[in-house]
Amino acid sequence: MVMATDRLNDFEGDYGADYDHLIRLVIAAPWAFCTDLRCPRQGVLSVQGSRSRMDRNGLRRMARTNWPWAWLAGVALALSPAAAWAHADAHPSGGFVAGFLHPISGLDHVVAMVAVGLWGAVLGPPALWVLPVAFPMVMAFGGLLGLLGVPIPGVEIGIAVSGLVMGLMVLFELRPSLWLAALIVSAFAVFHGHAHGAELPAGSNALLYSLAFVITTGLLHLVGILLGETRRWPGGRRFVQAAGGCVALVGLWFLEQALT
Amino acid sequence: MSLPLAHLVPTGLGPWGDGMARLFLEPTELLLVIGLVLLGVQARQPCRDRLPRLLPLAWSLGGLIGLTLPSELLLALPCTALVAVVGLLVVLEVRLRPVVLLPLAGALALLFALAAGSALTGHPGALAALLGETVAIAVVSTLLCQSLAPPHPRWRSIGLRVAGSWITAASLLMLGWLIRHPQ
Repeated sequence: MVMATDRLNDFEGDYGADYDHLIRLVIAAPWAFCTDLRCPRQGVLSVQGSRSRMDRNGLRRMARTNWPWAWLAGVALALSPAAAWAHADAHPSGGFVAGFLHPISGLDHVVAMVAVGLWGAVLGPPALWVLPVAFPMVMAFGGLLGLLGVPIPGVEIGIAVSGLVMGLMVLFELRPSLWLAALIVSAFAVFHGHAHGAELPAGSNALLYSLAFVITTGLLHLVGILLGETRRWPGGRRFVQAAGGCVALVGLWFLEQALT
Repeated sequence: MSLPLAHLVPTGLGPWGDGMARLFLEPTELLLVIGLVLLGVQARQPCRDRLPRLLPLAWSLGGLIGLTLPSELLLALPCTALVAVVGLLVVLEVRLRPVVLLPLAGALALLFALAAGSALTGHPGALAALLGETVAIAVVSTLLCQSLAPPHPRWRSIGLRVAGSWITAASLLMLGWLIRHPQ
């Protein structure tokens, strides 16, 4: 036991100060990978007017030019010590790391947030960006309720149903009006926010935690949007529908878990 | 935590570096600066040009006044609520006129700096730390204003609104945390 503690301390001593570098890499790598988004003519997602168009060669070009960053991020993540993260509160950036990892620590949250992006892509503009803008704000409102101790019944059921419903929306390519879609997504966001808010640790740097938490949520939406944009490629529509089906199945499984 | 460390994380670079790092490690101020710059970018030309000069000026003035205060001003709750409102204005893409935005930005920077300055009272390198934070604000606001200058492609306008929603969301969560764990 003593030896294990010593090893842990050594681990922290060696790697504990590297949080900032790790955070920078984790943020820089996806950004560097997506740098071509800034070039409307060359990027993977070129937006003209109100229509977005996927450039077929864009992804290949991005992978070719930005692969060192992606590899670097992968290596950094692989080498980063989990033992140091276990004591995240000891360092100001610990709040950031804990917040960044929290939304991706649960599959039910991950699939629901990716499904928001997928559904936005299926609905097209302006829902493509209205849903990812509305979700974090309403989710934070739910988090506020959770932090204040305002009870919401059936939070886990609501989270599971969110995955099921949004997965089915993507699977069957349902296109309700914008306000209805925003209402559905916002209603589910309250459940997700409430669960996260109730879990916000007391010892963390709260704002860094919250900020990282929101950024991860936004990145998950972005993943969903990018996956959804593959509908413009041959076979992409079936792929997105299959992804929606998977989300619905995961939601169904979590619903069964929540009800039993 | 002892008083000198209460509001400055030691970076090993002295009070100047600690002050610069403060902006990024306790980022309520950073969110305010980013939110105001985004509002300025969404608004008309004079706002975008004047904000990088106005914000550091107001910050240094407010900070110097704050340093003279006898005790720390506990303004975390109203300040966080104000950041949430600024983020909401960005989300709604409210194009404020310069005559409204510039005084608003100056007043907010002054208020935040007042609280920051009062928090640094008693720190041996308070003035250098305040100066470091002011320089960091000048650099961040200048870089953002220059890199986000119009004309905006459609995706960048959307990106600004998404950033506003993140600012509002993070502030709302922080607000709840502050109510739950009062200072």
